[in-house]
Amino acid sequence: MAFSALTEKYSGKMGTLTFGSGDQAITVGGQAAMPFCTFDGEIPNKPIVAMEVYDVVDPEWPAAVVDPFKDVINDPIAWAKKNIDEYGAKAICLQLASTDPNGENKSADYAAELVSKMIEAISVPLVVWGSGNVEKDAEVLSKICEVNEGKNLLIGPAVEENYKKIAAACLGYGHNVVSQSPIDVNMAKQMNILISNLGLPMDKIIMEPSTGALGYGVEYSYSVMERISLAALAQNDEKMQCPITNDLGKECWKAREVKLTEEEEPAFGPDLEKRGVLWEAITGFDMLLAGSNLLIMRNPKAVKLVEECIDELLA
Amino acid sequence: MSKLIITAAIRGAHAIVDRVEGKVNAAIQEYGADKEVNLPNTAYYLPVIYGITGYKVEKLGDMPGVIEKCRQLLPELPAENAWLPYLGPGLDAGMATAFAFELEESLLYLDPDKCPYLPSKEDPEDTDPDIWLGAADDIILRKRGVEFVDGSAPGFAAVVGAAKDVETAIKIAKELQEKSIYVFMASSNPNGVSFAEQLHEGGVQVGWNTRLVPFGKPTSAAIHALGFATRAALTFGGKTPGDFKEVLKYSKDRVFAFVLALDEVDDEKYAAAAGCINWGYPTIADTDIPEILPTGICTYEHVVSNIPQEEIVSKAIEVRGLKITIAKIDIPMSYGPAFEGERIKKDAMFVELGGPKSVGFEFAYSKPLDQVEDGKFTVVGPNIKDIEAGALLPIGIWIELAGRKLQEDFEPILERQCHHLLNGAEGVLHIGQRDIVWMRVSKKAVEAGFTLEHFGTILHAKLHNEFGAIVDKVQVTIFTDEEKVKEHLEVARKTWVERDNRLSDMNDETTETYYSCSLCQSFAPTHVCVVTPERPGLCGAYNWLDCRASHEINEHGPNQPIAKGDVVDERLGKWKGVDEFVAPASGNAFESFSAYSILVDPMTSCGCFEAIAACLFAANGVMVVDRDYAGETPCGMAFSTLAGSVGGGLQTPGFVGISKFYIGSKKFISAEGGIKRLCWMPKALKEQLKDMITARGEEEGVPNLYDMIATEENGTDEETVMAFLMEVGHPCLEMQQLMEMM
Ligand code: SF4
Repeated sequence: MAFSALTEKYSGKMGTLTFGSGDQAITVGGQAAMPFCTFDGEIPNKPIVAMEVYDVVDPEWPAAVVDPFKDVINDPIAWAKKNIDEYGAKAICLQLASTDPNGENKSADYAAELVSKMIEAISVPLVVWGSGNVEKDAEVLSKICEVNEGKNLLIGPAVEENYKKIAAACLGYGHNVVSQSPIDVNMAKQMNILISNLGLPMDKIIMEPSTGALGYGVEYSYSVMERISLAALAQNDEKMQCPITNDLGKECWKAREVKLTEEEEPAFGPDLEKRGVLWEAITGFDMLLAGSNLLIMRNPKAVKLVEECIDELLA
Repeated sequence: MSKLIITAAIRGAHAIVDRVEGKVNAAIQEYGADKEVNLPNTAYYLPVIYGITGYKVEKLGDMPGVIEKCRQLLPELPAENAWLPYLGPGLDAGMATAFAFELEESLLYLDPDKCPYLPSKEDPEDTDPDIWLGAADDIILRKRGVEFVDGSAPGFAAVVGAAKDVETAIKIAKELQEKSIYVFMASSNPNGVSFAEQLHEGGVQVGWNTRLVPFGKPTSAAIHALGFATRAALTFGGKTPGDFKEVLKYSKDRVFAFVLALDEVDDEKYAAAAGCINWGYPTIADTDIPEILPTGICTYEHVVSNIPQEEIVSKAIEVRGLKITIAKIDIPMSYGPAFEGERIKKDAMFVELGGPKSVGFEFAYSKPLDQVEDGKFTVVGPNIKDIEAGALLPIGIWIELAGRKLQEDFEPILERQCHHLLNGAEGVLHIGQRDIVWMRVSKKAVEAGFTLEHFGTILHAKLHNEFGAIVDKVQVTIFTDEEKVKEHLEVARKTWVERDNRLSDMNDETTETYYSCSLCQSFAPTHVCVVTPERPGLCGAYNWLDCRASHEINEHGPNQPIAKGDVVDERLGKWKGVDEFVAPASGNAFESFSAYSILVDPMTSCGCFEAIAACLFAANGVMVVDRDYAGETPCGMAFSTLAGSVGGGLQTPGFVGISKFYIGSKKFISAEGGIKRLCWMPKALKEQLKDMITARGEEEGVPNLYDMIATEENGTDEETVMAFLMEVGHPCLEMQQLMEMM
């Protein structure tokens, strides 16, 4: 008797989300199987890596994420272009760190204008990420939505305390929203329900279940994401069928392990760059294995490693 | 009676449609049927007509078709003696009025030179000849509509007519502004005075930016409010033009609006009011017009009259069921979770309230809506200005609540909020609840300007924001006069006794709906608590009432109602509805739960159980061990080891995580014989639960049960415990063998 492999059939399927406009638009999600299990079901869209650019860089950043951008690090637009032209970025994530009230506290108008310029300058879809300050993000991100009406950006993070303002602006001005929840399956689901109750369709929502870097809670993110995926696929839970994104660059590059020198920690060895790149790449790959559809990453070499894995596994 | 109104509305509608038909014909005469018509800058044609019927009015020649529709809608005037049991004809007349008004308004834009409005302007400027803005264009709609979606604008008030004088107009407008409600103004009173002009006269800046929007002076201009609502349904709700049911439902559910009819209401205004009812918007009038109270289309009443202008805003909010959120708590100190853990030492303290050296209590209860004045804070007795630093005062925080959905059962839950709500204020320390309240206020807070009324400000703002689903009005009185404190404390004590008895009077048999709690799924993915009146959640923090209230407050939250359905097994506590709920809720990990059994399909245990019950098969009894006891137990495992093997969302026959309170329930492992099985527990826990155990023992015919329960003093291995049980003659020894019951 011929061998026939056992396959897992799922009743549900992840929804899709499309961001960016025209032929540059990218669609993520839509898989009917667990990550890379193409033998179980269709995986129509490859996971995507969006490369980060910051509008202000923390002086603490390790050399491994400063050196590749040295010439452009004070110009987010040039940085984005370099990411696209030299490092082959498929999407850009603009991190609006400067708007943080505990930092430079740049205004919403400034941010909205920067985003407009960025859209003009680049040819790939754009993710716009706030500073993480709940109140300021509500103000900044909704302004960005308004000023850039109809550009179909992906905007976040919207959290329980500010999702109304951000999601309503996305709804009103034609954008997509990142719904972020604190490593909690129930909250992830509740956020999706709350946002869709405002009127934003499920195919305009992507979940960010809070990402922990390798050694800093990656396993929590992993298990939450795996459960979201299983709920979406096996239980056909409609409210869990939004694609998933992970904002992991900033988590990885603040880890102690990517910063310590050999003198400080001899066991870690001399190659700081390699250590950092692997730290980010492994975190990214873990997230893919847990079901991520869109990774937000920083170091070009780490991005390349992860993209090679994706291509190989989904060849 | 509503018949009067409906008759007037129908009469008004006929007159309006006749008039507009004449105007349309005249316009066609003048400009020709091909003359384009549109409202400024909108992709929605004439939005009300387009949204409701899907019909696009693009040129004058399209208008007679709309008049035709109006004629079809217009009902006959009801005969003198006919009884009108429902609103139907009135609603149709209202819809016809809406269409006709919209045509009439669009005609005003035909000749730009004669247009009385300032098209596409957000605010009238001093240089403009007049203040009237007319219809909002799509840009304004989007910008402002977003505020309706995100809740920063809770709704709009369409104000028709005029206030009795300029001051009152300003007062009404201020009150609405303070609540972030948009004010859409149109029409005038019979003397030609309009509300918007009154504001303008009083020096109040009108326009979209102050949320006081002057649409137009004719009553027909009120249609732009409905045009706004209709476009919101199309733009933000994604509703299809012509799908009038969905469009109207969206308006009712999402766009919280109401009509304030000031001064005389004529037939035309009745017709317009009838139109608004279609969108779910009630009318509140200051004059003595007939009311339409029964609910049906609107969330609550349809037309409420004879409300003095001073009270009309709060009445309108109540009638529309509008939820108010308070963006900033108006106190001179900071507020936030960061201050919850703040301690205030003696030398930093300005005043101590209640506590062991005085009396302190807090009490929240519900009253009818008309007996609570929202936002009223009073201090009875000495206030901050009357005392010296370091003073000690008694305190009684007396919270009067009202709400359409507020039930008596929610009172204790809201009362319990005082602790974390008051603690959030910088410089305020709060300990305890009920009659053991102890508070301190820091010198810094007093220097910043704190007075005792601010306790009211905090409670009012936070209760509205966090419990808006059930609370509509909050009034707070702070007693610091010793006599008054004691007097009110007596009243509160009586109510507390009643409250305590309320849940204990309930039982599982007579309750049809239980509640789930899946809060703990974040770390125990397959775990779900089924909470019944006689079996609280195993963490001890959620009883049935808590779950019910939590569900009312957040219907998408972790507490969902479970219709228990038919009894599957009365002894075990199995119901069809519960089993059907448990399977999907546990991710299909479990098919069935027994509420009362430790052996057959016991409920899952997450990790936050207050105690664990475990079978001691040799002794034929059950032991209970709580979190605070670190020693060995007769089942061979200490609490921590037990917790590790029982927890994590598993069903482990022979073991179950429980709340301490459940031990005193009649349903405590009743499938295995209940409390008579209880044969070992840590001494401290046993003492803590003494009254409960004794009472239950008596009910079960074992009055000295308390003394028969072994503790660690009698032994921590099963053999020694057995010897003790035999010596005292514990009832479990005589009961059916546990082994046989599996
Ligand atoms: S243990 Fe408490 S919080 Fe956890 S699920 Fe049960 S009732 Fe809810």
